[in-house]
Amino acid sequence: MEDRVILSNKIKKLVMDQEGWTRKMFEAGIRMKKDYGAENVYDFSLGNPEIEPPLSLKARLIELLEDPAPGMHRYMPNNGYEQVREEVAAYLSGRCGLPFTALHVFMTVGCAGGLNILFKAMLNRGDEVVLPSPFFWEFKNYIENFGAIPKIVDTKEDFQLDVGRIEAAITAKTRAILINSPNNPTGVVYSEESLKELADLLSRERRKGREIYIVADEAYRKLVYSEAPLPDLFGLYDLVITVTSHSKDLALAGERIGYVAISPHIADTPLLVSGLMIAIRALGFVNAPALFQRAVGSFQGSSVSIDDYRQKRDFLYDTLMEAGFECVKPTGAFYMFPRSPLPDEIEFVFKMQEEERILVVPGRGFGRKGYFRIAYCVPMETIVKARAGFLRAGKRYIGR
Amino acid sequence: MENASWIRAMFEEGERLKDLYGPESLFDFTLGNPIEEPPQELKKELHDMVARQTPGMHRYMSNSGYGDVREQIAGFHRENSLLPFTGDHIIMTVGSAGGINVVMKALLDPGDEVLVMSPFFVEFMFYIGNHGGVMKLVETKEDFHLDMKAIEEAITEKTRAILINSPNNPTGAVYHEDELKELASLLARKKQEGHRIFLISDEAYRKLTYADTPLPDVFNLYDDAVAVYSHSKDLGLAGERIGYIAVSPCIADERPLIDAMIFANRILGFINAPALMQRLVGKFQKNSVDVSGYRRKRDAIYNILIESGFDVRPPAGTFYIFPKSPIEDDIEFIRVLQQHHILAVPGVGFGRRGYFRLAYCTEMGVIERSRSAFMEVGKLYR
Repeated sequence: MEDRVILSNKIKKLVMDQEGWTRKMFEAGIRMKKDYGAENVYDFSLGNPEIEPPLSLKARLIELLEDPAPGMHRYMPNNGYEQVREEVAAYLSGRCGLPFTALHVFMTVGCAGGLNILFKAMLNRGDEVVLPSPFFWEFKNYIENFGAIPKIVDTKEDFQLDVGRIEAAITAKTRAILINSPNNPTGVVYSEESLKELADLLSRERRKGREIYIVADEAYRKLVYSEAPLPDLFGLYDLVITVTSHSKDLALAGERIGYVAISPHIADTPLLVSGLMIAIRALGFVNAPALFQRAVGSFQGSSVSIDDYRQKRDFLYDTLMEAGFECVKPTGAFYMFPRSPLPDEIEFVFKMQEEERILVVPGRGFGRKGYFRIAYCVPMETIVKARAGFLRAGKRYIGR
Repeated sequence: MENASWIRAMFEEGERLKDLYGPESLFDFTLGNPIEEPPQELKKELHDMVARQTPGMHRYMSNSGYGDVREQIAGFHRENSLLPFTGDHIIMTVGSAGGINVVMKALLDPGDEVLVMSPFFVEFMFYIGNHGGVMKLVETKEDFHLDMKAIEEAITEKTRAILINSPNNPTGAVYHEDELKELASLLARKKQEGHRIFLISDEAYRKLTYADTPLPDVFNLYDDAVAVYSHSKDLGLAGERIGYIAVSPCIADERPLIDAMIFANRILGFINAPALMQRLVGKFQKNSVDVSGYRRKRDAIYNILIESGFDVRPPAGTFYIFPKSPIEDDIEFIRVLQQHHILAVPGVGFGRRGYFRLAYCTEMGVIERSRSAFMEVGKLYR
């Protein structure tokens, strides 16, 4: 027994899997900032938006705290304050034209918390969840936390859904498909056409007796650059559950506030809500943070300015094009996912670090080798200053 | 799910009765949702922090929490234990419920056993089961204190940890230093035999003790100790979900354990403890809601129960009291209480038949008004 390690074997494996290059990169980044000064290192590695919540939201917070209501920091029902859920439901009803009520809304500890309680409530051991790739790596952990299996399915060249491949991946054990649009890491917004195709496929499966849910992570829903709003899944298919956070649209990432929205078309909603109630307690969340529930209720229609992000996207995308990179132009979120000029993208990522002090993340961190992710939720100045580095890298590795 | 739904079932029956009789004539002792407000100076500081609008104050930070907050908390533990705690030994969590899940995720492989002292907070069953662990219940003694012989007998090759909760929910018992030392020496003996067992201490009610002597510090008793705290009760912030894990600096190879917990905090979906509340509680480590208010309530409910003829021990901590049911069938007895407009939770909801739990974190008036109802119920069983 003496050699029994301090960690469980399961977590040890998970920790080791991520150790390797992430740790090395992370440490190199810290060292560089120390050596050259943080302002001379261009860090595009983190999806931690460097913007502030809307002023009106800050004012709302102050208003709540100036005249604190007795009991405002106590426990409330596990699914959240009824009044807040009603506000969210009213927003959803207005947006989708469906009869959302407070019961269809479940306040959560961010999107990550929402996905975990949803999977805990829905999934049995051995159940499968189809996961289009590239994808936010944590999805794999969230699914595996409950003994379920992610079935990773590649998207097309342009990172749009490949419904043929999805169909081929469906088995008797498929319980859900997890989509994330606007997408981290590609910045792609799934087209209405491809979503309709997906809905048709799932409807056909349903007629065969397979109830497959679409679980949609819509953390970046309000960060869309095109004129057309994000297609509304609730109108396309009945078995839809969306998970949202206010980390990006209201810049409250550290406060851990989001919600699960259950389609009014789902017949078993009361049962699902009971399951979520148990799950949010069992996993130790208990409820979404009280103060920020109250704060976000009336901000459902608001968002941080998308124009700033659009400017950053345009400048960065133009830079990449000029440098000769190959990249799908993102229409949402604040990520870009260009192809690596070197076959081994880890090598390229380290070169960018060493030669240009530009920090980006290798594509294999999102299940796709040969690409790299740029998170451009940084000050415009950082992007402008990094331009020369991208251009030089283009010359060096792409040969222009 | 069966067990845990008791409290909820009682809660719902309570809602029905409230509709029927009006909330004023109902004595609801079911929920541990303290009505005490956070300290006045904490409320003021919270307001001032938001008004100052420091840029970046709502963004992500490191998954373990703000370094300065962790350092403040480490300082509190250094003072308490005289051990070399640093910010690295502290991980900010989404309450103690979140914290215990993180600890279990880091420690347990499927089939690993965790000893839990019964009666117990039923959610522990989930926290262990979530990560493939197996909860092994160990009955406490008649006075709800540790039964060392029963603990020793329950240890098997698969025992990975022992989870204690003192001050205890539901009994209000506070473990003495002597019995904790005895537990520590049992674990130390096992360690010498080559079997390392972690001591996990849920100290959510740490500051709610009525004795003059402070709570014994587990870190001074046993090396492989991890304690989990919450500010739900001591600062009245239950709904804000803020707590932390403290890992003993005496654990021989603590770094990988701490890293695994930070990792677990991420993949379980907590990511980090709520930002604003972290900053807030860092400054209030020595504060607490007014314990004297709870003491008055404890005395009042205890006296009413004794006067009504119940067999009950005075709790030394928390805001729970766990009297014996006058009849063996505690569920039946809860129904009798309900007929007298008293809402309580049956002992079976905490793994102990023949008892019931009253949570007296209510208005004093509720306790006072409940007196005649308890007296009437008492008379039925004289």
